[in-house]
Amino acid sequence: MSGETSAGLPEVDVPAADRAALREPAHQVDPRAVSLWRTTALVEAAFVSGLAGVGYALLPERPWWATLALALLVAAALARAVVMPVVRFRIHRWEVTGTAVFTRSGWLSREQRIAPLSRVQTVDSHQGPIMRLYHLATITVTTASAAGPVRIDCLDEALARRVVADLTEITGATEGDAT
Amino acid sequence: MTRPDEDGWQRLDARMLLIGPLDTLRQFAVPVVIALVGISSSRGTFDPGLLLIMLAVPVVLGLLPWLTTRYRITDTQFQQRRGLLSRQQLTAPLDRVRSVDLESSLLQRALGLAKVKIGTGVDETRIELNALSLAQAEELRRFLLARGAAAVPAPPPVVWTQSTDNQASDVPFRNNRQPPPDDPPAVLARIDWSWLRFAPFSLGRLAIVAGAVGVLAQWGEDLPFLDAEHIDAAWRWVTGFALVLVVLATLVVALLAWLVISVVGYVVQWWDLRLTREHGTIRLAAGLLTTRSTSVEEARVRGVELVEPVLLRTVNGAELSTLATGVGEGGVTKVLPPCPREVCQEVGQAILGAPRPLVAALVPHGPAARRRAHVRAQRPAVVVTLGLLAATGFAGWPWWPPVVAALVLVPGGAAAGEVAYRNLGHLLTPAHLTSGDPAVQRRRQVLERDGVIGWVIGQSLFQRRRGLATLTATTAAGKERVAVRDLPLEQAVRLAALVTPGAVVPFLADP
Repeated sequence: MSGETSAGLPEVDVPAADRAALREPAHQVDPRAVSLWRTTALVEAAFVSGLAGVGYALLPERPWWATLALALLVAAALARAVVMPVVRFRIHRWEVTGTAVFTRSGWLSREQRIAPLSRVQTVDSHQGPIMRLYHLATITVTTASAAGPVRIDCLDEALARRVVADLTEITGATEGDAT
Repeated sequence: MTRPDEDGWQRLDARMLLIGPLDTLRQFAVPVVIALVGISSSRGTFDPGLLLIMLAVPVVLGLLPWLTTRYRITDTQFQQRRGLLSRQQLTAPLDRVRSVDLESSLLQRALGLAKVKIGTGVDETRIELNALSLAQAEELRRFLLARGAAAVPAPPPVVWTQSTDNQASDVPFRNNRQPPPDDPPAVLARIDWSWLRFAPFSLGRLAIVAGAVGVLAQWGEDLPFLDAEHIDAAWRWVTGFALVLVVLATLVVALLAWLVISVVGYVVQWWDLRLTREHGTIRLAAGLLTTRSTSVEEARVRGVELVEPVLLRTVNGAELSTLATGVGEGGVTKVLPPCPREVCQEVGQAILGAPRPLVAALVPHGPAARRRAHVRAQRPAVVVTLGLLAATGFAGWPWWPPVVAALVLVPGGAAAGEVAYRNLGHLLTPAHLTSGDPAVQRRRQVLERDGVIGWVIGQSLFQRRRGLATLTATTAAGKERVAVRDLPLEQAVRLAALVTPGAVVPFLADP
């Protein structure tokens, strides 16, 4: 197994202690992603506020702290819709090289994922209904590990198709069962 | 045994004609009895014809698997056909066979039969042959695993011998190739009955007992004497004695029951345990009533997991599992019963082929990780104390519960936090990545470097504030991930780069 996957990779120097930081992946996601994320966040905010509002209206009496809790909830949901997309757009980045996929995602918590192309099993793209409005698509690259799918969120449709084609071509050339 | 037809298809063992109907009869027993009682009582008469029909149906159903299942081995594939109405053909490429399990229930053992389960590395479905003769099953196991291990790209053609002489009939997989080298199996571990002392300290079985008690309790509600009046009377009768005595007696009885259950369970499960290595496979066989044998190609065993649950650790006991790909059921297989930690370490070393990962001290993760372990361990203390404070403030409870809770839980949390931090760590050895969890239960996972597929470096909001990260090595083996928690971010990146330089170094920042 090891022979199949590490063969062909160049011998690389073991990094020195002062170099141990990952750089940013090369590309940002499509700027329309900000609008997409804001739209979904607003929809979620409306839904949550609506539910809480109905609950509030059904209360037999309305003490001051219930009013405060409702106000805070609505304010938090709205603040999230304002702040999250901007921060997320700064964080989300991706890169595909000849040997690996590398992504960074999240806004409050962060995640960086690396999957070598020699271990990739499937390359899927996905478009939800709202994403279709914005002409965006998400690519999911899976490996033999359930813990290891790498997702590139919100690429332009045409770009996503190209990336999927490229990835399929590269990974199709790899032999072995990638476990 | 049954002889293959001209295409090489052969049936399961004919003795299944005996067992199959018995098995289905057992499954159908309850509904059949209920139906019979119901019909008879509504009609007022007992109809023997009805009984016959109700017995005949399961018997016929029990014969079906033998009648409809056939299997054969071609040059490249293992094939199985089954099904009466919807016919199904399952195939497994011979060079993809990763594990072969044999299992015999008590009844099957009496008749010398074994069920064979064949697992391939790629998908989760396993081919089941229920059942073959023991000799045939054993032969099939060795043949498949030898083929899987060899994984020859262009194998010489297998020729089915249509020999007419009777000697050949006991060797079902004759072909013109060399048999696998017959070196004797090396024994890695054998049951040692002095390990029985660990049985009561392993609480895994307690869940099963609790489940049984739960079922009994539900059932008990229907008993005629379990109503409020009787319970009340019983309670008064009990409190008439010294309550302490009653409680003590109950405790003693429960403890004795647990002793018996745990020891019996241990013996039944691990009877005649043999862990061996032969022809590049690791084989585990054990069981008193139902015997099981699991064989996994050694190259598929990507690592081991050493767990020391709190109670077991107090008596220096531990449990060992292998992390493998393509064996189904999560890929984590317990290969040793609760036994002395040293035994687990030795066997683990033999499986890994490396001495250090299971015994060497782990690299600690530093002060930030320690603070985090302590903060996490104080959560119950904070929640309980605040809850009690609220009760004191708003519900008029006395002043002392929150104070007592804080006095007990805070030191307890501090101790738990310190233990958790001591268990946390990682270690990189030439061939393996080792990780210890930050938890009171000590767990050490060892993964082959070659088994690492990719990486996830995650930082929660709190980890970011302390500059920590959780480094997850994704893998196809075991639970498909090995996480190194609360590692300083730059160390996490460095570790990933050291394990798989090819994938990580291109993404490192310039110095």
